[in-house]
Amino acid sequence: MDATILLVEDDPSIREVTAIGLRQAGFTVVTANDGRDGLDRFLAGAFDLVLLDIMLPRMDGLEVAREIRRTSTVPIVMLTARADTIDVVVGLEAGADDYVRKPFEVPELVARVRAAVRRMGRHPDDETAHLRLGPLVIDTAGRTVTRDGLEIALTRTEFDLLVELVRHAGQVLPRDTLLDRIWGYDYLGDSRLVDVAVGRLRAKVEPDPAAPELILTVRGAGYKAARQGAQ
Amino acid sequence: MIAFGGVRARLTASLVALVAVTAIVLGLSASWFVDLRLHDQTLQDAAAQARFDLSVVVPGRQLPDAPTLDDIDRSALAETFRQRGVETLVDLGPRGEFRSTSRLEGLLDRLPPDMPDRIDRGELAFAWVDVTGTPSLVIGGRPAGVDAAFFFVRDVSGLRAAVDQLRVALAAGGLILVLLSLVVARRIARGILAPVEEAGQVAERIERGDLSARVPVTTRDEFGAWAERFNAMTAALSDTIRRLEAAQQQNRRFVADVSHELRTPLTALVAEASIVAEHLEELPPESRRAAELLVGDVRRLRALVEELMELSRFDADAEEVEAEPVDLVRLVRAVIGARLPIARFVPPAPTVIADTDPRRLERILGNFLDNARDHAGGVDVDVTLEIGEEDLVIAVADRGPGVPPDRLDRIFERFARLDPSRDRGTGGSGLGLAIAAEHAALLGGYLQAIDRDGGGLRLELVLPSDVTGSLRDGDGSVIRAPDDGTPPSTTRERPS
Repeated sequence: MDATILLVEDDPSIREVTAIGLRQAGFTVVTANDGRDGLDRFLAGAFDLVLLDIMLPRMDGLEVAREIRRTSTVPIVMLTARADTIDVVVGLEAGADDYVRKPFEVPELVARVRAAVRRMGRHPDDETAHLRLGPLVIDTAGRTVTRDGLEIALTRTEFDLLVELVRHAGQVLPRDTLLDRIWGYDYLGDSRLVDVAVGRLRAKVEPDPAAPELILTVRGAGYKAARQGAQ
Repeated sequence: MIAFGGVRARLTASLVALVAVTAIVLGLSASWFVDLRLHDQTLQDAAAQARFDLSVVVPGRQLPDAPTLDDIDRSALAETFRQRGVETLVDLGPRGEFRSTSRLEGLLDRLPPDMPDRIDRGELAFAWVDVTGTPSLVIGGRPAGVDAAFFFVRDVSGLRAAVDQLRVALAAGGLILVLLSLVVARRIARGILAPVEEAGQVAERIERGDLSARVPVTTRDEFGAWAERFNAMTAALSDTIRRLEAAQQQNRRFVADVSHELRTPLTALVAEASIVAEHLEELPPESRRAAELLVGDVRRLRALVEELMELSRFDADAEEVEAEPVDLVRLVRAVIGARLPIARFVPPAPTVIADTDPRRLERILGNFLDNARDHAGGVDVDVTLEIGEEDLVIAVADRGPGVPPDRLDRIFERFARLDPSRDRGTGGSGLGLAIAAEHAALLGGYLQAIDRDGGGLRLELVLPSDVTGSLRDGDGSVIRAPDDGTPPSTTRERPS
């Protein structure tokens, strides 16, 4: 796979072995050992994915993610020491698309990186160029969402999630189905990713995120997009 | 509130009894003394009068030496004496007996026998007698130069009435005193017992965990001394408890710090070993076995550190339940699929919704399955989900060697390795079930281990069944009464 990855990790052993694993899997890897260095390298180069440790000297990973999100929709995968909900939420709030918990086995990390990169390179769908959900108009070819002619800025993950829900409007999609289709998890994953991502998506597209009308929660089952004309 | 009724009642009763006895003794002696004094005074007055009458009044009437009844009658002595409230009886010996009133008839027979003798010797004599129902004082004597014995009878019923009145007054006063003492005694008893009651409240606060509670030392009496001792004891106890808590805290922090510090090198190790594991075939045979062992040991170390960190989060009370409606059938199937796909599971209904934390359930069930895999070879494992009236049970039963009944309770303890000879390579860290127990407690339930008939171990997660049935409408599912008679709200079936 011909993709370039920026790896920002301060521990030399972890950094080196992770780089070895990714290179063996066919990626080109650029490494940085602190947050400031990582951001500088990101701004100087072109990357298909950023692997970001949270606890970094000089500038922490969350800050780096926020800075990257100012200018780019590149997939960001966080490396977190803890998997508490608060860490997951904070990471995703900062703009990350996924996270990998430490310690990790390299094949597991490679699989996550592959899934994210593949999603990035997914070809635009030509058959249905425009989808609608209430006041939203979704252009799957141009990967844009507009409401009343104004574009809403979504991350790739949020966009993919919205498209998946709208393609199956009126149908309940369980969390693990969404995890599989959007994040590429093929095993029992962390459904909090879905909850957090849906929350962020609602904040951007719902007229009132506290009383969602477009993306509905089905308690005990999952999420569904409201059927067209049946709001 | 602690009741002090017994002691207070006894104290009150004692005080009242003391007052009552004192009042009775004082009343009786007072009435006795007054009675005595009044009689004495009356007697003195009467005697003086009699003496005067016998020596002055009677001789002044010029009676003959041996007067007859007529002489006495004519002398009008009786009228004179009656004016002073005194009736008169004159004993004229063989000449008869003069009586100023018929009431005095037979009086002489009722006088003490020694009275006539003393009168004959020229003395005054007296007696307290009843004259036709009237208490009376009789004084007898002989006037100078007249052969007759005069008996003056004085009505003393007024005296008796006065004494009776006094007794009534004293009794009434005594009763009031006793009633008053009852009120006062209750107050006093309460006052005496107040420190005890207060100490009771303080002890209650200490019992509830407020080790800073102290009994106020307000007096320098026995209670004060006792309160000081009590406070000293509480201070010593709370000091010990604080030291133990600090030591335990330190211990836990140490475990948390150690596991945390281990995490960075462990992350490197795990990543490195995972790469080595992918290239085992390329290694020369002599180092391949060592590399295999290395990979396995790193996995074990990782499990141990992660479980220690998990436990230290419980110890730090850093865990919170994130409850949501969960389809237990789906969850159990998913965990079995990930951890032990060959385990059997027959769901009681197509869908069972519970309001609980799915990640903790996954953890508990996963650890149950790991235990069955590690200790029973993972074969012949049955997973069941039972919905009862009061609880909901998720169980994993194996046909392994089981656990001796007397050690069943201990399998949820940390590092509970029941068989010392057991090869360490077969099992997990020894923390899995302890962690499961912590998760279960957080969900409001508990774990139990049961020795199976026919061999094997059954691990149960018991949750209160009120976690089920809180699902709101909205997913188009229909409520269906399950076959086992549980309330219909606990299971749901999604229409196909």
